[in-house]
Amino acid sequence: MDRQAQLRWFAREVLPHEPDLRKWLGGRVRGLSSCDVDEVVQEAYARLWIAEADAIRSARAYLFVTARHIVGEHVRRSRIVAIDLVADLDALNIIDEEISVHRRLSGQEELARLHEILQTLPPKCRQAFELKKFQDFSQRRIAEHMGIAESTVEKHLAKALRLVSDGMKQAPAGAQDGRQRERRFWKWG
Amino acid sequence: MPRMEDSVSAGFGNGVDIDTQAAAWAVRSAERPLDSAEQQQLDAWLEADSRHLGAYVRAQALWLDIDRVVALDGGTQRDCPTPVREHPWRRYAMAASVALAAFAGTVAYDHLVGRVSTERGEVRRIALEDGSILTLNGDSAVQVRYEDDIRRIILRRGEASFEVAHNKQRPFVVSAEGLDVRAVGTEFVVGIEDSGVAVTVEEGIVAVGGKASGSAQPRYIRRNEQFVAAATGPRKAVLDTADVERRIAWRNGLLVFDGQQLGAAAAEVNRYSDLRVVIEDPTLARAEFMGVFKLGDAQAFAGAAAQAFNGEVVRRGDELVLVRQQNSPSH
Repeated sequence: MDRQAQLRWFAREVLPHEPDLRKWLGGRVRGLSSCDVDEVVQEAYARLWIAEADAIRSARAYLFVTARHIVGEHVRRSRIVAIDLVADLDALNIIDEEISVHRRLSGQEELARLHEILQTLPPKCRQAFELKKFQDFSQRRIAEHMGIAESTVEKHLAKALRLVSDGMKQAPAGAQDGRQRERRFWKWG
Repeated sequence: MPRMEDSVSAGFGNGVDIDTQAAAWAVRSAERPLDSAEQQQLDAWLEADSRHLGAYVRAQALWLDIDRVVALDGGTQRDCPTPVREHPWRRYAMAASVALAAFAGTVAYDHLVGRVSTERGEVRRIALEDGSILTLNGDSAVQVRYEDDIRRIILRRGEASFEVAHNKQRPFVVSAEGLDVRAVGTEFVVGIEDSGVAVTVEEGIVAVGGKASGSAQPRYIRRNEQFVAAATGPRKAVLDTADVERRIAWRNGLLVFDGQQLGAAAAEVNRYSDLRVVIEDPTLARAEFMGVFKLGDAQAFAGAAAQAFNGEVVRRGDELVLVRQQNSPSH
């Protein structure tokens, strides 16, 4: 797989699981001062990227297990750990439960979600983003059109990507199935 | 080109800072190849912490994936604060050289996202998988979205011409700003212009529908007819064959003028050239002009116009200014 194809695979098979992973992690790293959710996700993505994508049958399972390993490494390195955290980590079947409940968003839901996130962007940032992604302008053309420097366009775009990616960290309102299942799990826990 | 220091190097540390830097790198590396200094800087950043790679992969995958999500937008949901409708090439002179690629052969396009775009002065001819041919005018962009039961093309900006392979089971639909043009097997051109979306049919028949058509029933546009979905209301015009041919001459890498006013002709020439032809004399701008030119050849155009109207061409930076000779009789 070339890099572009691998990125597409990553976008298709890995990214959709990030909100669930973050939710799952959220309850588990609270007791750890040495790491936060962002860091575990970044580390897990780095490991997933280096792994041979062809050999990964379920990216979701691989992602959750990798993240669990990373949290485990932090736990082992920490001197003081909350007891419930250790108990959770031992319960591998929790991961199985989480893995089975994913609901993929439809294309129209994804598009609606993107539009929703775009509403929250600062006007210039959003304009640059829309010229780039909806009208396929080069940064140079966006700079000409908006009457700003090309380097400013790049900053607007980077900021837009940052804000869109922040928006993608949370599960959208549509993905109810996973949430309900998780609530049920927490009652049992 | 600005260095990355301004947007990227500031602040190492927690996951959020990392995401910010990763986003800046992802946007830049998707825009153009990094130069060697930038590449070194990126490599050093990636090596500094394994999480940087994870964040960079995430940002790149997201940036790429947005194209797939946007591709689902039929060109009707866009809610742009300032839609780009005017033609900036009339206002800006660009320093970069323009590659004239008319009929340079078919080009590959990204099959996964199906996006094709052209720079100013570049005409691209693309063979689609069903045997249809798409020719993209300069400074234009389309999205190709083929599904089992429909062949859909979204015109995002500019102008494109279509030679549609016949397939009744799988209609060919071009969408542009809320207008849907449906064809089965025919040749037509769709352009987003100042006045609205224009559909010109060369061969066969197309059905025009959608929100912007101004009608719930499809309107049928036939050979040598033009439909314009204008803000002031839709209109239809009958053109003669020569007029249609003139309008699509760009597809063959040519510009044809047959009695157009010189000012309008110059604007058309400037669309394909980084050297701009400027006519400041209003009577000269209204003079009627005939001629055939290669796309992008502003110099030939200015020379021919000067000869026809007993004027001369004065070079002023990136501009070719057409003036009357001092001793020539004025109107």
